[in-house]
Amino acid sequence: MSFDVLFNQFMSGIARGALLFLVASGLSLTFGVLRVLNFAHGSIYMLGAFVTYSIWKYLLIPVVGFYVATILASLTMAGVGLLMEFFLLRRLYSRGWPEQLLATYAVILILTDIVKWGWGGEFLSIPRPKPFTGAVFLFGFPFPSYNFFIILLGLALVVFLWWLVYRTRLGDIIRAAASDREMVSALGIPIPWLFTWIFVLGSLIAGLSGAVSAPFGAIRLGMDIEIIVECFAVVVIGGMGSLPGTLLGSFIVGQVYSFGIMYKPELALAFIFIVMAIVLIIRPWGIFGRPER
Amino acid sequence: MERMQTERNPGIRNQWWLALLIAAALFAPFVISEFYLAILGEALIMSLLALSFNLLFGYMGQLSFGQAAFYGLSGYTVAMLLTKVHFNFWLSILAGILMAGILGLIIGFFCVRLRGIYFSILTLAFGQLLFFVIYKWHNFTGGDDGIQGVFPPEALKSPVNYYFFIVIVFILATFLLWRIVHSPFGYILKSMRDNPERTEFLGINIGRYQLIAFVIAAAYAGLAGALWAPFYRSIAPFALMWIKSGEPVMAAILGGPTTFFGPIFGMFLMTFFHAWVLGFTVYWPVIMGALILVIIFFLPGGILGFAQEKWKARKTSAK
Repeated sequence: MSFDVLFNQFMSGIARGALLFLVASGLSLTFGVLRVLNFAHGSIYMLGAFVTYSIWKYLLIPVVGFYVATILASLTMAGVGLLMEFFLLRRLYSRGWPEQLLATYAVILILTDIVKWGWGGEFLSIPRPKPFTGAVFLFGFPFPSYNFFIILLGLALVVFLWWLVYRTRLGDIIRAAASDREMVSALGIPIPWLFTWIFVLGSLIAGLSGAVSAPFGAIRLGMDIEIIVECFAVVVIGGMGSLPGTLLGSFIVGQVYSFGIMYKPELALAFIFIVMAIVLIIRPWGIFGRPER
Repeated sequence: MERMQTERNPGIRNQWWLALLIAAALFAPFVISEFYLAILGEALIMSLLALSFNLLFGYMGQLSFGQAAFYGLSGYTVAMLLTKVHFNFWLSILAGILMAGILGLIIGFFCVRLRGIYFSILTLAFGQLLFFVIYKWHNFTGGDDGIQGVFPPEALKSPVNYYFFIVIVFILATFLLWRIVHSPFGYILKSMRDNPERTEFLGINIGRYQLIAFVIAAAYAGLAGALWAPFYRSIAPFALMWIKSGEPVMAAILGGPTTFFGPIFGMFLMTFFHAWVLGFTVYWPVIMGALILVIIFFLPGGILGFAQEKWKARKTSAK
């Protein structure tokens, strides 16, 4: 196997990993603070892609149309997250995790049908936006420049989340709330308010990743569950609620997927699960996670 | 002490309504139309899947989102044995259950190490993995076309005969599971759900018991799949999809996971409701989603769970 093939797979794995990080970071952030695993995170991602398509199609602004649509769709998904937190999750924090899981599962079913009802079952696509239509040469090999856009966006999100969690007052509260909710509440910080905004932020990230995933592949029903299962693999490998863990998990899953699909497309997912199973046997709480109390 | 006694011999006092239900099930083919008979058959088969799920959820406290994997694998095993090698029907059914059990052993080996949400994630992931493999492996499994022309033997070809076959298998399987959950083994499962640490202190190997329960549940899901393929005359990858895994979850929540018959009741409600709703809309999932939310918010414990609570409350106030 020649170097250029391997390098090519490596780079597409990086791009895939970057997209996975975009989605999984929102999931992981929400879980880290709220201790609620949002099953519907992938559905918000899917809805984000569909909404981006519609806004893009409706606006038809040259050059910046896609970026405007991306921003508007992300904000819309933040709104969806706000509604979901306010009407559903808020009422379930005191209940057990099965109820929380089922409530978000119900949201999957509802959002899937909304997408089916609103856009039909067709495959939709958005062409790659300028200036990322062409190819970039790296060591003399061509790569789609849109992949680099995704990678850059992923890196930007890493930096942003790191800054948010480790360098701001909100970040202090987030980390404190993740380790001891009652104590933070006792210090006079309104926990419901914090939870709402973290969930909204998570949904915004999900919507953003759905939007930028649109020119990457087809926009279609079923993309929600595909991405959420891979995100689960990411957070299980990296450790739930851990930012560096999510980053490492995304990298691993992206690479395994990319090389797996080259080796045997039918089994690409299987390779991811083999890695996941190995991690679970050695460190059930993930590489960067903490054991459950 | 008195309570212990009644729990040791559960169901004795309930015999009259069970007998009534069994009689109704056996008389149904003479009363209802073939369409409703088919739905009734479907409800019975799917109830086995719901029981399989609830052995893990209601009794062991582990929420599996991957029961469709066992159901589908068994269905595919039966379908392929019957259509490709024209294998004996009864042995095919057994082979389907066996395959589901073996898969349960493999997946369970990994899953029983985990608790709570992690268990759900991993079962979902394994389920989707199997779905993906069967869906993509076109040469072997027929991909998204599935497998058609899965026929039961001559004697069971008529819908009524197959229905009776389902009823008999259902009664035997349900009775067996009833015995399992009310055996010492069943009590160990419940104690693992309520207090895993204390159960471990009693010298019980939690991992091993969870694995056994997981394999039994997988075999029950397999039984449902094995009955389904010849009943529906075909099988498609949809049988392994996450939506299918969600059905027993919803049935248990609807009927009441803390009761033995709750999941069956929930699955019957769901199946008939589904058949009725499909008459005028294809947006079944949104209705189901809304229904789950209603149950979670207004009827925690499910319908039978709620009824049982009320009944218990009345009994204590009467005393």
